[in-house]
Amino acid sequence: MDFDENRTGRQMKGGRSQRARYLFVASAVASTLWLIAGPYGPAVTWAQHEHTTSITAPAIGAQAVDFELKLLDGKSVSLQQWRGKPVVINFFASWCDPCRDEMPLINEVAAGADKGGYRVIGIAVEDTRAAVTQFSKEAKLTFPVGLDLNSTIKRAYRIFGPPATFFIDAQGTVRDIVLGPMTPERAREALKKAGAA
Amino acid sequence: MKPRRSTVCLGAFTSLWFFIIALGSAVPGQAVDSGPFAFNPEVQLGRRSNNPSTPFLRLAPDGRLFAVWTEDDKRPMAMTKQEIAAPPHESHMKMTASPMRVALLAWSKDGGKTWTSPKQVNSAVEAIEGEEGGPRLAFGKNNRAYVVWSVPNEKGDKTRANIRFAMEDGKGGFTPAKTLNELKNTARFPIIETMADDSLLVGWIDRRVDNPIPRSLYLKRLSAKGEQLTSSYKIGGGLCECCRLGIAFADGGKTVYVADRQVSEQQIRNHALRKSTDGGQTFGEPVEISDDGWQVAACPHSGPTIGIDGRGYLHVTWFTLGRSEKEAGIYYSVSKDGGRHFAPRQLVQANTAPEILHTTLAVAADGTVYLAWENLDDQNKSQIFMRSLAPDGETWRSIQQVSRTAGNASRPMLALSQKLLHVAWTETEGETSWISTRTAPVVK
Repeated sequence: MDFDENRTGRQMKGGRSQRARYLFVASAVASTLWLIAGPYGPAVTWAQHEHTTSITAPAIGAQAVDFELKLLDGKSVSLQQWRGKPVVINFFASWCDPCRDEMPLINEVAAGADKGGYRVIGIAVEDTRAAVTQFSKEAKLTFPVGLDLNSTIKRAYRIFGPPATFFIDAQGTVRDIVLGPMTPERAREALKKAGAA
Repeated sequence: MKPRRSTVCLGAFTSLWFFIIALGSAVPGQAVDSGPFAFNPEVQLGRRSNNPSTPFLRLAPDGRLFAVWTEDDKRPMAMTKQEIAAPPHESHMKMTASPMRVALLAWSKDGGKTWTSPKQVNSAVEAIEGEEGGPRLAFGKNNRAYVVWSVPNEKGDKTRANIRFAMEDGKGGFTPAKTLNELKNTARFPIIETMADDSLLVGWIDRRVDNPIPRSLYLKRLSAKGEQLTSSYKIGGGLCECCRLGIAFADGGKTVYVADRQVSEQQIRNHALRKSTDGGQTFGEPVEISDDGWQVAACPHSGPTIGIDGRGYLHVTWFTLGRSEKEAGIYYSVSKDGGRHFAPRQLVQANTAPEILHTTLAVAADGTVYLAWENLDDQNKSQIFMRSLAPDGETWRSIQQVSRTAGNASRPMLALSQKLLHVAWTETEGETSWISTRTAPVVK
């Protein structure tokens, strides 16, 4: 009995020791996993950081992403509400040199909107109301302009730097995209594709 | 039979570990602060109601951490007679639409925990540029602060701007600002560094020749008292017109490195390094840092940052889209031979979504490189991320998200002392902006 107790005791002791070892190993494994994946992880080598994302430009022929834009005058517009007419969307910024250079042409495009039966809208990216208001006055912009305040529209249209101009047909399909400043010839060609010429 | 106390403790310890791990993976936004840097909570700079933005950090020789940034300037603008005669509501509209911004300077003596009340740098009411072209700061040996910034021309055209300069006047304020570019409305994106003899080297992107479009790089020397030592002089051409410059000194200013984003006739936007071994008087031919091949006719608005370690290695970081959007991301390279050659670029982090990113770095004397940049999180919000590279040039630590904005965080700036790493950035939400800073012990 004593022996048995002792044996049991030894077994118990041995069991506790085994469990303790198991727990120790488990905590060591957990700690190691935590160190690998966690906040104080060991160095990660370059090879472990390859591209995991795929970024593609907005496709011509795809449906244009709808958006709601608050204009400088306080009114709001959405792309959807202009469905039925071609729309020209010009992304620009007051700090952007080629945007400034391109603006007279965008104004010209806007001047032909009524006759051509299309709409033109300017979307200022990474900019402030004050700067865009001043720029609008200086450049005598004749079309509605709004601020893409949280960069949501810019991201939806995958703009990697202004200027960029999208030509959307009456059914809301992107028919042409000009990344960078346009020439008058390119503008005419794009308007034609969108059914706005 | 009761289990032994040690077993209970070990079990509790293990359970706690698993609980922490489970908690960590269950909490949304767990990635924030998950990483090697033990950052303190955010400290905000400036008056929130004035939309602070575009911070630049620098340590003074006496160890104080300085920041310069811009805020809305709500002082009345000079008005025309016609505007004065306008109905009150129209005058009010003019005021609320003011693009005027003031430059402010503050410092911290306790490693970024608390900051002094900001001092106004510019006395005139002017529309100081922010974003990519925000104010820059340098110090003399006596800890005197020198600040440069750019202002648009009279019509508000930021692309035809002027470089302004002011320095601490020794009486608690700043000297009246003066314009450094001799030709009006031709300069943007200023940089400033202090030479070994306490004179100043100021640089900018110049458009005195409007066409062809690629811009020029101009430098100018000023004395420690802000007096002109040289007229502005050209050291190179072919510059992208909207990307900030990077500058670094070695040998106390005898060797000057300037990095810029170039633009070719085909609109390829690679980066180049220029080196001077005579204190910025003359420069060698530019060396291409990396043949990224990013062809873009638009405004990248994202320039490089360079830094030198105690071994003389030159480190550089930049953003590029490369030859396809799949290459888009933040990159890093190093030159171990004084800027003659650069190692093949290494990807620091790929773009998580379509966005031009901004990156910066700080380099420790031992060669540890700390990088900070912005990228989009899984909520499509721009956040600040950081990681470090060991002096061996191969061992990267894990990427850590350091901002947790509900809006967008952008344009981080770093400052590094022997013990502390400081980062500051701008956050925007809707039409408001503010500046956040955080500090962490240096991680080797």
